[in-house]
Amino acid sequence: MIDWGAFFVVAGASLLASTVVVSLYSLGLRLLTSSGRALVVDPASFTGAITVLTPKRAAKEAKRQRKSATANPLTVFQKRLALVGAYACFVLCVGAVLYGVYLIVPALHR
Amino acid sequence: MDLTLIVALVIALSLVFDFTNGFHDTANAMATPIATGAMRPKVAVGLAAVLNLVGAFLSTEVAKTVSGGIIREGNGGVQITPQIIFAGLIGAIVWNLITWLRGLPSSSSHALFGGLIGAAIIGIGVQSVDFSVVFAKVILPALIAPVTVGVVALIATRLAYFITRRDAGKADGRGGFRYAQIFSSSLVALAHGTNDAQKTMGVITLTLIAGGFQAVGSGPQWWVICTCALAIAIGTYTGGWRIILTMGRGLTDVKPAQGFAAETSTAATILASSHLGFALSTTQVASGSVIGSGLGRRGATVRWGMAGQIALGWLLTLPASAVMGAFAAGFTLLGPIGLVIDLVLGSVIVALLFRQSRRTRITHDNLHDIDDAALVVNIKKTPRRIARRDRKKVSL
Repeated sequence: MIDWGAFFVVAGASLLASTVVVSLYSLGLRLLTSSGRALVVDPASFTGAITVLTPKRAAKEAKRQRKSATANPLTVFQKRLALVGAYACFVLCVGAVLYGVYLIVPALHR
Repeated sequence: MDLTLIVALVIALSLVFDFTNGFHDTANAMATPIATGAMRPKVAVGLAAVLNLVGAFLSTEVAKTVSGGIIREGNGGVQITPQIIFAGLIGAIVWNLITWLRGLPSSSSHALFGGLIGAAIIGIGVQSVDFSVVFAKVILPALIAPVTVGVVALIATRLAYFITRRDAGKADGRGGFRYAQIFSSSLVALAHGTNDAQKTMGVITLTLIAGGFQAVGSGPQWWVICTCALAIAIGTYTGGWRIILTMGRGLTDVKPAQGFAAETSTAATILASSHLGFALSTTQVASGSVIGSGLGRRGATVRWGMAGQIALGWLLTLPASAVMGAFAAGFTLLGPIGLVIDLVLGSVIVALLFRQSRRTRITHDNLHDIDDAALVVNIKKTPRRIARRDRKKVSL
């Protein structure tokens, strides 16, 4: 029969790993945004899931985003702290990816 | 018929199966990054192809244990012949192409197992198949894995949106998830390469051993590894655009944060399961996490009709390819002429399926049909209700 013990270990490990990695990266993005350097990554190509804006609306959107970025209530020190925190989160995420590669390549762990 | 000729035929068919496996499974890794625009479609499938190629060379562990258990072979068991493997492969290839034509992400491994089981039942007898192993290792995980990973993806998606939430009108930086998507989907592609190319290597090695061309218990030879790696990489690069369309847009509209959460859950589940010796189907895990992440995002709708079709495809994969494998095996009992009938019938069916596919062509062009419309985009917003007391709160 099915090995329920192994199944629960797999379910638990994947829940733990994905929540930790996703939280870390999200936190990194959040801190980056609050340090005033929101990461803007435009899509490389457009699919039906993405609405395309008219240039006029796009300019309006950009202006609003600039405005919200300048209206930052944090002090310079707090912003720097947020930036350092963001980079720390991203470094941990890189670590998670490397650990994933380590798990995939058997030559590394056998 | 000459044994060498049969073995050569089986090797050729294995490589064809490997190719269909590659293009069937491109979607697992690359459907969500393509859907969110993290990578251009061609770049994404190119990356997946390279990672599958690299992955195929990394390990031969799976290849050594591929036949383990399901078909009782070796001492005291039954002799598995190249003819049976031949028939099983025909069943698996035909079923893979049928599901591809319907755009259904179904498990290639299940198709392979199903074909082999059907062929073994006809060619040897029902006693040759260990049904308790089939149930515990193939059917039960197929039911449990998508649900489990769906729950994981749901929680991860909720977390991603919760952590990056900001007041309406402020930049939330969620586009930054696109970078992360590249890495999470690459991990899935690499893991896929180390698993799925191995299965074909295992089949070819099994055939060579059964035909007496290779010592019992030895691993795959270098030319087997090379050709299998190439076949799966070319298949991946060809890209099953129909299935990518289903996974990236048919199930639910995928957004960057959601896509990242889904891919991370997929990668984590596959890595955890294969590390603990509990092999799961990449396809089922990936589809489950896409649905789960759709449930986790506010305002996203999951198209349950499509999800139901996919689930039906999963349920049918094993029996349907078993039936086809059984038919093919039935012909091989006629002797050499049966193999010829099998080959001709198989080629005719494949040709018909391809003709059918030409009627509604789906390529990477269909995926980004508004590419040149504009450079600045907005992702459809889902309004969030803000409590009155929170409205003035300055968010960090």
